[in-house]
Amino acid sequence: MIALFRLIVLVLLLEAMFYLLLRIYIRSLRRERLEQVWAERHPEMVGNHAARAEFVRKAMVGFDKSLKSRLLWLVFILPTLAIMGIVYWVNWQ
Amino acid sequence: MHYAKVILGVLLGIVVFAFLDYALPSKNTVRITNTYNRLTSVTASNAMFYASEDTGTVENAAGQRDVRFIESVRPNGKVFVYRNEDTGWIWPPYFKYDSANLHAEATNLRSGRSDPQWVSVTAYGWRIPWLTSYPNAISIDTLASADQRPRNWGAMVICAVLLIFLALIWRMWAQFRQRTIDPAIKSVDDGWDRTTDRFSTETAEARGRMSGWWNTWKGKPRK
Repeated sequence: MIALFRLIVLVLLLEAMFYLLLRIYIRSLRRERLEQVWAERHPEMVGNHAARAEFVRKAMVGFDKSLKSRLLWLVFILPTLAIMGIVYWVNWQ
Repeated sequence: MHYAKVILGVLLGIVVFAFLDYALPSKNTVRITNTYNRLTSVTASNAMFYASEDTGTVENAAGQRDVRFIESVRPNGKVFVYRNEDTGWIWPPYFKYDSANLHAEATNLRSGRSDPQWVSVTAYGWRIPWLTSYPNAISIDTLASADQRPRNWGAMVICAVLLIFLALIWRMWAQFRQRTIDPAIKSVDDGWDRTTDRFSTETAEARGRMSGWWNTWKGKPRK
C-alpha cells in the first residue's frame, strides 16, 4: 500500500510541475501574440512602451477562464488515465 | 572539441536506444514448453534487472527469491526463458501484479512439438546469461500459426508520445530563452555599458560583456 501512495504522490508532484511549466509557456505565447497585435495597431509605439505593457496586462486579465487555460487541467487527467489504462491492460486484459 | 562532442552525442544516442530497448514492451512468437518456480539469487550485479524488493516477491535471508519462470521455444527452434514477476508501482511502470494469473495462463498454454500452440508473449528486459537476467513477461496472447507477428502497438504509442513530449520541451525552452533569458542579459548589458561609459570612453570598446559571456556557452566566439 505504501508503494501505491508513493506512486500517487510522485505522479501528482510531476503533474503539478508540468502544469506550472505549461501555464508559464502558454501565457508567454499569448503575451507574444498580444505584443504582435499591438505592433500591428500602433506601429509608432513598438518596443518596451508603457502603453503596450498596459494593453497586454488588460488583455491577460481573463486568460485563466479561457478554453486553452482550462484545457491545461488535462495535464492532471490524461497521465492519470494513462496509468489506470496500463493497470487495466496489464492485469485484466 | 568537435570530436569530443560527436563522441558524447553518439554515446548519448546509444544509451537512449539501449534504455528504450530495455524498458519498452516487445513481442515474440513462441511455444511455451514449461513453467516453474526456482530459487534465484538476486545479487548486487543483477538486482537492477529484477523487480524492486517491496513488490511482494518473498526474499529469504540468503538474498534468494522464489521467481516464476516460463520456458519457451521460438519457431526457429531456439529457446527463450522469461521470468514472471510483479513489477510493483514505480519502476518499470507496467504496474503488473497478476503474475500468478499469468503463470496459470502460461501453464494452461503449454504444448508439445507434435501439437504446437503458438503464443505471442509481450515482455520487457534482456536475457543476459552471465548476469542471470531474464525478460519479464507481461501478457500472453494465443496465435493461429507460427508465422504470425502481432504489431507492437504499445511500444509505438509510447515512442510517439515521447517524441511529442521532446518537441514540446524544446519549444518551451526556446520560448523561455527568447522571452526571459535574452531580455535579462540585454538589460544587464545595457546597465553595465551605461555605468562604464560614464567613467571612461575607453571602456566603451568593451560593450556587451554579459552577452559575450553568454555566447561563449552557445559556441560563438567572444567579440
